[in-house]
Amino acid sequence: MSASDHNKPTNSPQESAENTTHFGYQTIDKEDKVSMVAGVFHSVAKQYDIMNDLMSFGIHRLWKRFTIDASGVRPGNKVLDLAGGTGDLTAKFSQLVGKSGQVVLADINSSMLNVGRDKLRDKGLVQNIDYIQANAQYLPFEDNTFDIVTIAFGLRNVTDKDMALRSIYRVLKPGGRLLVLEFSKPEHELLNKAYDFYSFNILPKMGELVAKDGDSYKYLAESIRMHPDQETLKTMLDNAGFEQTSFKNLTGGVVALHKGYKF
Amino acid sequence: MSSLFTQIAKQFMFSQTLTAGLEIIINKVLTLKSAFFSFDKLAHKTLTIALSELDFPLSFTVVPTKESRFNTMNVLVTSLTAHTDCTITTSIKTLIELQTQKKLTELIKQDKLDVTGDIKVAQQFASLAETLNIDWQSELATHIGDIPTHKLTQLGKKVSDKFHFTAQQIKADASEYLVHEQRVVVTKSQIELFNQAVADIDAQTQTLEARIARLSEHLPQ
Ligand SMILES: C[S@@+](CC[C@H](N)C(=O)[O-])C[C@H]1O[C@@H](n2cnc3c(N)ncnc32)[C@H](O)[C@@H]1O
Repeated sequence: MSASDHNKPTNSPQESAENTTHFGYQTIDKEDKVSMVAGVFHSVAKQYDIMNDLMSFGIHRLWKRFTIDASGVRPGNKVLDLAGGTGDLTAKFSQLVGKSGQVVLADINSSMLNVGRDKLRDKGLVQNIDYIQANAQYLPFEDNTFDIVTIAFGLRNVTDKDMALRSIYRVLKPGGRLLVLEFSKPEHELLNKAYDFYSFNILPKMGELVAKDGDSYKYLAESIRMHPDQETLKTMLDNAGFEQTSFKNLTGGVVALHKGYKF
Repeated sequence: MSSLFTQIAKQFMFSQTLTAGLEIIINKVLTLKSAFFSFDKLAHKTLTIALSELDFPLSFTVVPTKESRFNTMNVLVTSLTAHTDCTITTSIKTLIELQTQKKLTELIKQDKLDVTGDIKVAQQFASLAETLNIDWQSELATHIGDIPTHKLTQLGKKVSDKFHFTAQQIKADASEYLVHEQRVVVTKSQIELFNQAVADIDAQTQTLEARIARLSEHLPQ
């Protein structure tokens, strides 16, 4: 079974026409995407963490650790964890930037933010974290605010990715960096096939069984396939103004970490 | 086929697996024994251990978690190098030499072991390691004792056992080092530190240059 068996649209993963975009494999009006994505994350919020562990066999924790290690974060830094959801990255950043630093957990979805806030409070992480409901396309921060912006498994859900990248660029300080952790294209055909089989057969069933929500997990699998591959995303970073852009494949390219600087 | 496996092995994220494992175990033991240790001096301090056998450093950062009457601290283990208070550079081989009663200062003079930054931080971490006195083998076995992770278990134990021993040695020798040796020993690391500082300035200059170029693009002709 391959992705093509699932009626994957053949056009570019970018926005296909002026007013339409993709919601998984469906082509929909841009205006509808935000609320449809919101529907998905309202519905998965409570089970999100447990599903993450199950679906990725816990490997998402290593991908996130890799992101932290690559961020070069230091005490006193201001960090934006964009599309931060339940706050895994925020938790680590908050501890590493210390009292003199600050972390903003921003997400478009109030349910995800609430689950994140409760989780971080339970961990005793309160001092240096702010929670903000915001759309990545229209970040409500001054220019040149952050030393580091991360967006982990979030960019593929954003309606206008180029606009979001420009918005991130604007709020980064000169010398600051963006890290995009996102599903990407496995480098090897065999791995690609195995991954397709897993995503379209096993993953939605797991979603159905554990989170009672197969449709949302079908969307997640489809949105992963529609997301730009490594080189395309790198070019998108370049186009948004980022410099010294690069990416590193993790787990055979199932996931890639892109990095770009603002000078 | 083999190239696929090599590729996957490369991306196995060994450093993240090791740091995650260390972090889980340290914090588990810390929960049980933190009442016996005063963390005041260690809060927000980072110790980095660079072992020549590993191509990534191990950085240990102590962070206070809950505000309460009791000390509740968490130790983060990362491979970050952007900020540290003290770095110990050595090899597992040298740690074995340490076990045969060689003096820390001797090894420093021979460029086999190096301490840069605030040695008091290393001393504090040494006390913490002593208090925790983690039985790495059984701890690792309960967490990741299956066959695919056997190698990791072995390495993890090797690294951490040696760390515990060095910790004791550092504690014993550090005061001596501070009093008698620090002024006379010019270590390789001091030169490296200088080189690093030069490289940092170079990088900053480049950043600045790029920034100036960016700004001058916007200047009216
Ligand atoms: C798969 S979750 C990732 C959460 C977290 N970063 C992690 O790695 O576990 C994707 C998140 O992106 C958020 N999101 C989707 N579209 C967004 C947008 N336009 N702006 C900000 N956040 C958005 C969702 O609400 C959701 O919480």
